[in-house]
Formats: sequence, structure tokens, C-alpha cells
Amino acid sequence: MPAPELLERLAGAIVRLSKSEAAAAAEAALAAGLSPYTIIADGLSRGMQTVGEAFRRNEVFIPEVLVACDAYYAGLNVVKPLIDQNDQRRFFAKMVIGTIHGDIHTVGKDVAVPVFQAAGFQVIDLGTAVPDQQFVAAIREHQPELVGLGTYMTATFMHTRATVDAITEAGLRDQVKIICGGPSVDAETARRMGADDASDNAWDAVEKMRALVAALRQEKAARA
Amino acid sequence: MSEVVDRWVEALQGKLAPIGTMTHWQRLEAAFHGRPSDLVPVAPELDYWQIVYAGYTHPEIYNDVDKTTDACLKTWADLRTDAIWMYVDISHQIEGFVPKEERAEKFILRGDKDYLLFKPLAHTLDEAIALFEDRVWEKYGGDSRAVTHYTPHMLQLLEFQEKMGRQVPVIVGAATPTNQAETVVEVQEFVKWMITEPEAKVRHFLELCLQERLEALDFYRDFGYANGLRFFCCFGGARTWGPKQLAQFADVDARFVEKAASIFPNVLWHICGHNLPEAMQWVGAQEGIHAVQYDMPYYTQTLSWREWCESIARLYAGKKCACNAPTTQLACYGTPAEVEVAAQEFIEATLPHTTAVVMPGCEIDAYAPAENVRAMIAAARRYSGGA
Repeated sequence: MPAPELLERLAGAIVRLSKSEAAAAAEAALAAGLSPYTIIADGLSRGMQTVGEAFRRNEVFIPEVLVACDAYYAGLNVVKPLIDQNDQRRFFAKMVIGTIHGDIHTVGKDVAVPVFQAAGFQVIDLGTAVPDQQFVAAIREHQPELVGLGTYMTATFMHTRATVDAITEAGLRDQVKIICGGPSVDAETARRMGADDASDNAWDAVEKMRALVAALRQEKAARA
Repeated sequence: MSEVVDRWVEALQGKLAPIGTMTHWQRLEAAFHGRPSDLVPVAPELDYWQIVYAGYTHPEIYNDVDKTTDACLKTWADLRTDAIWMYVDISHQIEGFVPKEERAEKFILRGDKDYLLFKPLAHTLDEAIALFEDRVWEKYGGDSRAVTHYTPHMLQLLEFQEKMGRQVPVIVGAATPTNQAETVVEVQEFVKWMITEPEAKVRHFLELCLQERLEALDFYRDFGYANGLRFFCCFGGARTWGPKQLAQFADVDARFVEKAASIFPNVLWHICGHNLPEAMQWVGAQEGIHAVQYDMPYYTQTLSWREWCESIARLYAGKKCACNAPTTQLACYGTPAEVEVAAQEFIEATLPHTTAVVMPGCEIDAYAPAENVRAMIAAARRYSGGA
């Protein structure tokens, strides 16, 4: 099957909400010699973008988006082990993400991760209920430009400050921009707690993340 | 007979300065039924906030019914809202599904001012169905906190309500079938199953949840209504569903509401989060619901706060009392001035079309400043209630 058709099949699997089809299409694309990056960026991610556009037009809703995310992960898991250094350099920016300690909800993050990946971010997902020091260790290990702090509840969002403080105390605050995400976040409060921005919508968050990365790069260039 | 209740009754009976010309009960009841009231009622769902406000920590009240009730009554005595919301946490809802020896693993308490968080009780639809087919609550519920904490706390508050001559109503709520379905497995899993699992299997699970919830209503009739409970809140699930899922499955909640309305004369529907327009219309069509505690516009709606409130007021004109404002986020993060403006905008946008109750769409967060709660009360007290 030619590459354009393989990529169309990948994107279509996401839009059709089919995990099995997405995994099979990813296998087929790899077998045809497409790179993991191409499979993600031009296949799976394009499918997620299409789902996002349909969400904005009220043609699909949260349940469909969540299942689309599962389909995306099914394809991604096939190619993930094969992403090499060359592929990684083609991402726009690297991000570490997780819901903060005490918050076990995955619903927001499960949507955010594929949307961010679809937008060209390499996302290292630390999971849920992530202790502050695990964020610190992940920043040291992966050297991201962005840290995403997910919270589902208002109560846990209020703990964002503790996580930001841990990153600051570790001497890493000026290496990253921090964005909060989840249904109950508020940008002004996020900034008051030491983060840089917040968004309750994964697609809107992408624009904010691009702006934050650009600002960080300018700051780093000015410091150099 | 409860010592903590008697202490508060003695302290307050005949000593409370009147607010307006109606009692709190009369004011809230009038608004629920579309009648004029002297003032716009204000009844924020204070829930865990009142525990913190009263100076208690979560570990202090977790197994101490008297302290829990004391916190609610102290808060009401200070703030004089138009209803007392009983304290409720997630353990009340699901502990009865869990064997005693496994409960500690299922709950997470992060700190003194945090809610109790929980882990899913089932990871597949088959496991979830088994929980309900096996009626596990009959096995494990007897010593759960629903029995040891929730029920005595509810009865104490109702005792206070009755001894105070029904000046102020107690609001007690229960999860609807869709809420229960989502809670035992975590929302995101259930929401996905509505698409990925056979419709008949999802339907079977929801029917089991409905049966369990209808039996729960028997409890609220025998222990709540029989002891004076008249204001009942249905904590609706389905908050992240799309129109298709609502059309397929929301009827189980309608059947729950029908029975709730046959017991209680004042039924409130709680739908928090980003409210889907179709969900708001669905609620509006349910005859048993008198008032709707709604929240924020759906993600893709581009409405100002005032426009949003007005759109709901128009939708519910002649049918439902609208309850909202400020958002729980603003109540927690905003300034008192911002809170007042949000409450005023809600009232002014709503009253031309239907009655209004200042009642944020979700529970007030434990971190919300007391000044913000006072600000929403002050805003409501400046308006007479329309019809």
C-alpha cells in the first residue's frame, strides 16, 4: 500500500475510534518502511487533529474524544519503542506531564497527551498522582522545555504551588515553563502559584504551550 | 436526641435576628416553585468547606459525627444561608461496596484540607456488573460509613431542622444511577464503554445501578422524609456525555427522578462541570425536578457569564428555578468583589425569566476564602426574588 494510503488509514482509524484498526495500520506502516515520526505526525496525529476539529464543531463530544485517544495510543504503542534520536529531534519541543500528587484522575491528561503529541510535542507521561520529586527527577532526566501539571479537582489544583516550589528549590525553574491543565484550572491562579499558564481545553493549551516555549527559548538565548 | 443538636438549638432558638420577611425555608421553597420571595435565596453547597470554616480538619471529623454536625451548625449560625447542606464525602457513597479490610487501600487523603479521593472499584464492565448483580453492599454495607457516619449525621441535622421549627431546610442529596455507574469505575472508563461495549450490556449495568438507587430512595423515604427531609438533591452523572449517550441511556436518571419526586416536594438537580446544551434541555424536560444547580457553559460555547445565565433562565422560564453563581473556581480564586459581580450578573440575568438561587454549580472548595462566601451571600441579600 502506498504511503499516502497508509497514512490515511492511520488517521481514519482514529476518526473511526478503532483501536484495533489503528494498531494494525501502524504495523502495516512500519512494515512498509515509514518512520515512526511520519506515522505519528502524518497519520495518528492527523487523525487526532480531525477529531479535535469535529469537537470544536460539536460533531463529536467528550466520550468520542476519549475513545479516539485510546485508538491513538493503540497506534502509538506500536511505534513508540522504535522512535530513535533522529525522530526525537523532529518534535517541536519536549514536555513532561503528569497529574500532581493526590490526584488520581486521568480523564484530562488522557485527552491532553495525544493532542499535544499531535501538535508536535514529545510528551513524557509520568502518569497520575505523581510526587513532586518525581517531576524534579524527570526534568533532570529528560531536559524538557515544558512541564504540564494536571489536576482534575479544584482542591488538588490548589496544591500546584508545592510542585512548582519543588522544581524551583531543585534549581530547575528557569529551565522549564510550567502549564497547568484540567477542568478546574484558572490561568491567573496558576500564575499566582508560580506556574506560567493554565488551560481547561487541550486544543487551546497547544497555542499557549507554543507561546511558552518561544518565550523560554528567548529567555535562554538572552541568558546565554 | 443529640447533645450537639440540643446545644445549638438552645443557643439559637428565639435568638436569631430575622432576615427579610420570610423564613429561610419559605424563601427557598418559594423559589423552587416559581413563586416570589422576599429575597433571592442563597444556599451554597458548603460541604467540606464548612468543616474547615468551623476549625476542624478532615481527620478530626472523619469518624466523629458530632463534630461534623457541629461544623455544619456553627457555619449556618454564622452565615445564615437559606439551607444547610449536610457534609458528604465519596466514602459515604462507595464504602459499602468494599470489604472492610480493603477500604484503606481504596481511599487517599492527602492533607487536612483535602477531599477524600478514591480508586475505582471495578476495572471492566463485567466487574462492575458483578458488583451490582452480587449486591455487594448487602454484604459490606452494614459497617460502612454510610451507616456509621452519613446516616447519623443526616438525622442530627434533620433533628436540628425540626427543633428549630423548620426555619431553615436541610438539603440531602444522593447520586443518580448514572452518577453511581460512573463513580464505581471512574468516569472516563464508563464514558468510553458507552461507545466500545455492546449497548445491551451497558444498558444492563445501568439498569442494575437504577435498581440499587431506587432502593436507596427507599432509605431516604424511611429515614429522611420520615424525619422531616423535604429538600432533596439528585447528584446527576452524565456530565461529560454527548447527545447520543444522553438519548441512549439518560432515561435511567429520569426514572430515578420520578421516584424522588414522588417522595420529596422539593427536588433539586445538580449538574456541574461544562454543561452540554442538550443536557440542560434534558434536565428542563424532567417534570419532577423543581430547581437546577448548573455550572459553566460547554467548552465550545462562546458566551459571557451573563449571556450564559440568561440563556439558561430563558430555557427554564416557567419550568425550573435556576441555581448558580459564582463558579466554584471564582469562589475559590477570585476576590470578594469578583464574586459579588458574578452573583449579581446571575441574578439580574435570571430574574426576568425565572426564579434564582445563589448556589454555585458545585461544592465550595475547602480553600475558598470565607470572605468570598460572605460576598455571595451579601449579593443575594440585595435582591428580592422574582417569579
